[in-house]
Amino acid sequence: MAAIMKVSPFKWIFIGASAFLSLLIFVFPLFAAATYSFRGEAGKGRSLANYRWLLEQDGFYPNLFASLKLAAIAGILTLLLMVPTMVFLNLKAQRFKPLIDFLCILPLIIPVVSLAIGAQVAMPEVIQNSEYELVFFFVIIALPYTYRAIDTSLQTVQLKTLVEASRSLGASWFATILRVIVPAIRSGILGALFLAFALGIGEYTITSLLHWETFPTWTVVAAQQNILGAIAISVFSFIGAIALLTLISLLSRRGTKRESLESENEGALS
Amino acid sequence: MTGITRRVSSTLELSGVSRFFGQVRALDGLDLKVNPGELVALLGPSGCGKTTALRIVAGLEHASAGNLTVNGVRYNETPAHQRDMGMVFQSYSLFPNLDVTENIEYGLRARKIPARDRSKRVSEMLALVELGSKAKAFPHQLSGGQQQRVALARALAIEPNVLLLDEPLSALDAQVRSQIREEIRRIQIELGITTLFVTHDQEEAMSIADRVGVMNHGKLEQIDTPIELYTNPSSPFVASFVGLANRIPGEVTAAGGVRILNQSISLSRAVSTFAPGTKITAIIRPETLILTSENDPDATRGLIALKSFLGPLTKLGIAVEGSPLIHINISSSDVKHLEIGQHISFKVAASEVMAEHA
Amino acid sequence: MKSGVVETPRKTQGGRLGSQVFPLLPFFAFTGYFLIWPVLAVTLRSLRGNEGEWTFSNYTPLLHGSYLHAFTTSIKLSLITSIIGSLLGALFAYVVVRYASGKFSAVLDSISAVFANSGGVPLAFMFIAAFGTEGLVTRVLKTLGWDIYAGHFTIFSFTGVVMVYSFFQIPLMFLVFKPAISGLRKEWLEASTNLGATQVTYWRRVAIPMLLPSFFGAFFLLFAGGFSAYATARALTVGTVPLVPIIIGTLVDGNVVSDQQNLGDALAVGMIIVAGVAMIGYVWAQKSAAKWRQS
Repeated sequence: MAAIMKVSPFKWIFIGASAFLSLLIFVFPLFAAATYSFRGEAGKGRSLANYRWLLEQDGFYPNLFASLKLAAIAGILTLLLMVPTMVFLNLKAQRFKPLIDFLCILPLIIPVVSLAIGAQVAMPEVIQNSEYELVFFFVIIALPYTYRAIDTSLQTVQLKTLVEASRSLGASWFATILRVIVPAIRSGILGALFLAFALGIGEYTITSLLHWETFPTWTVVAAQQNILGAIAISVFSFIGAIALLTLISLLSRRGTKRESLESENEGALS
Repeated sequence: MTGITRRVSSTLELSGVSRFFGQVRALDGLDLKVNPGELVALLGPSGCGKTTALRIVAGLEHASAGNLTVNGVRYNETPAHQRDMGMVFQSYSLFPNLDVTENIEYGLRARKIPARDRSKRVSEMLALVELGSKAKAFPHQLSGGQQQRVALARALAIEPNVLLLDEPLSALDAQVRSQIREEIRRIQIELGITTLFVTHDQEEAMSIADRVGVMNHGKLEQIDTPIELYTNPSSPFVASFVGLANRIPGEVTAAGGVRILNQSISLSRAVSTFAPGTKITAIIRPETLILTSENDPDATRGLIALKSFLGPLTKLGIAVEGSPLIHINISSSDVKHLEIGQHISFKVAASEVMAEHA
Repeated sequence: MKSGVVETPRKTQGGRLGSQVFPLLPFFAFTGYFLIWPVLAVTLRSLRGNEGEWTFSNYTPLLHGSYLHAFTTSIKLSLITSIIGSLLGALFAYVVVRYASGKFSAVLDSISAVFANSGGVPLAFMFIAAFGTEGLVTRVLKTLGWDIYAGHFTIFSFTGVVMVYSFFQIPLMFLVFKPAISGLRKEWLEASTNLGATQVTYWRRVAIPMLLPSFFGAFFLLFAGGFSAYATARALTVGTVPLVPIIIGTLVDGNVVSDQQNLGDALAVGMIIVAGVAMIGYVWAQKSAAKWRQS
């Protein structure tokens, strides 16, 4: 590759331009928000005043816990629904793949606002009167991402061989899924769990349109009293989410690292 | 001949060609001359530098040191796309968005060859690789073997100086592999094109090449005709890499020979001498082991642990104390009375053996 | 080679349709009830008048005046931001795939995922901190001699929304498009070079034709996403820019008289229709590659 690259002085133009743009568009605003959030009272000096203010608010803990709870349930429900479905789909019912592909991309296409209106029309009172109503819609909204995550990791394992080996050794279907398939696709499962969770934590549209209060909707209300406090929440949730996601992706990479390292060496030397 | 015009065959020469990746010497002073119309195979384990050598010839990597010439002209600085070398990759190198015809004429378009000449050339190439019926197929509609034939046609369409084959058969099924291998050789001889072929499969290298270069740790260990390589390996590495070999433990005697099993045998000249008493591993080809009578003073007794029928030959695995399972090839007509579990006597029927430090 | 392998299981599966559907029922039931049914329900109700009669009258306000303006503004906004997002996101994806290490690229994936998916509300506040009148970027640019507030610019304007939407459109494109770039095998560039073609030829004849379907597919996803985005604009503008989702939001929040409820339904269905057109574009983009794409 090195020799080919010689003809390309574009390399540094590309890298430079992207570095500059991403700095301007992403790093700088995040940095700006961070500095703002540490601004002292009356805009002077550095302090944790905004974070303290945040923690003192009555709504902070209840709403944070409500969001954590709903998001966690959404993550678990996603796995319960999607793992068996995807395993079976890839194993025995390939012909339904296009249909399920389509259903899982739909939530990206159907505006969440429209879905919210539809939910008000279509859901019976029992569901509408419970905050757990949100869980179902978090699962739906996360579907395009969770589906992709599980599907990708299923594609990389020899699913059929694994199942046949396990079944021929006398394992039940239940044991096969739990003890063979789940460990084999744990990176995808972890990814799906996190995606559903992250989406649930940050979901605003359907929550506010269905008149529920969670952490994000509370943030918007709180911002009307103290914009710096709202910025502090934003920074807090952003850094937290990025750190968590990075940790998970690096952890799940560990499993596959050996293989990829080996193949890299192969490419360089053989 | 299929009426394909071709240039006079070229000579490809590498002298002292090296490639360093940081501390790693992927290729360490390779000297190699491929004569006009010759097919030379570079053979070696993964990581031995054979692919690096090929990629340097193609211009896909640059040499850290050394000279690369074609017909005496230095090529080191020639950009890859001006080298006129046809290369066939391991797999997946066809452009998936182009059909077979477009793939084959890709290099011709790059050379601004007019459409009429292009289509003539494409049909010649398709005839050469016997894929006339697939002209409009897309790569994913072809089998692995067909894809590699198209890749060969595409590489040959530009009338290259040199044909470079980078493990072109390794992704194929065993049966298809030998078929395409023969096809490559037929076409190569027909066109008389100078060819460098890289593989890790010794059977492949031995069956297709005029000469085989065995590489290890970035160096060329030996380059010779297949038969010479097999019968006169220059090092234990070559001996054990080329063909099947038993590795039998032994010890160097005071007389400078080696004692293995029950016999004393002289050491091959190609091996530097060991001090008496050194523990060595002797490399013995299965066919130099013969069955003998129990009374033979040189005989070693063992137990038949394995018997596998290979057509004209049958391979016996013999368990001997203090040695890994020893393989012997004998004519299948002589094995009727031999059964697994039976005791048997055999000896080494060679006057010299290759050995390395145990 | 594969055709035989693919066809055989299909044939044997033919008779077992029922047993194949059965384990998929929970999924079909779930998506049917929580995704398809709400869409159907709102569509049906939007076609009913105040007396419960079938009518298209709920849709008439959409065809002129402020509601039509809202639709054109929303479409314009999502067009502009998906063009910006797809171009810059594709550039970033290319640079990262080509030059970044695996670990760095994994970190960028996480950051992009957060920006693209869970950012809605926080993005708006971050944007205020950066580009607001007192924002850090604003002040830095001012010291460099560019006062972005010299003209009519405010972050609560259309331009402001375009900027803040880029915060999630670019990372979304990055995530969606990166696999397509990674899918370009290094053998293709090498084969092309070996055959005597320049890099320009390689891009023109191989790389770009291969990337275009994914690019357009991603573009339409961005369009649909930008069109239906609600949280960011809501948190930022509080209604200063007339976007369809925001209008629906105010209708839902207010004390709904039944006229407005019907209007809300019609607006919601109108959004589905616009997004559906984007979906057709997406499917078209996928189909156009089917000729040469595997499986």
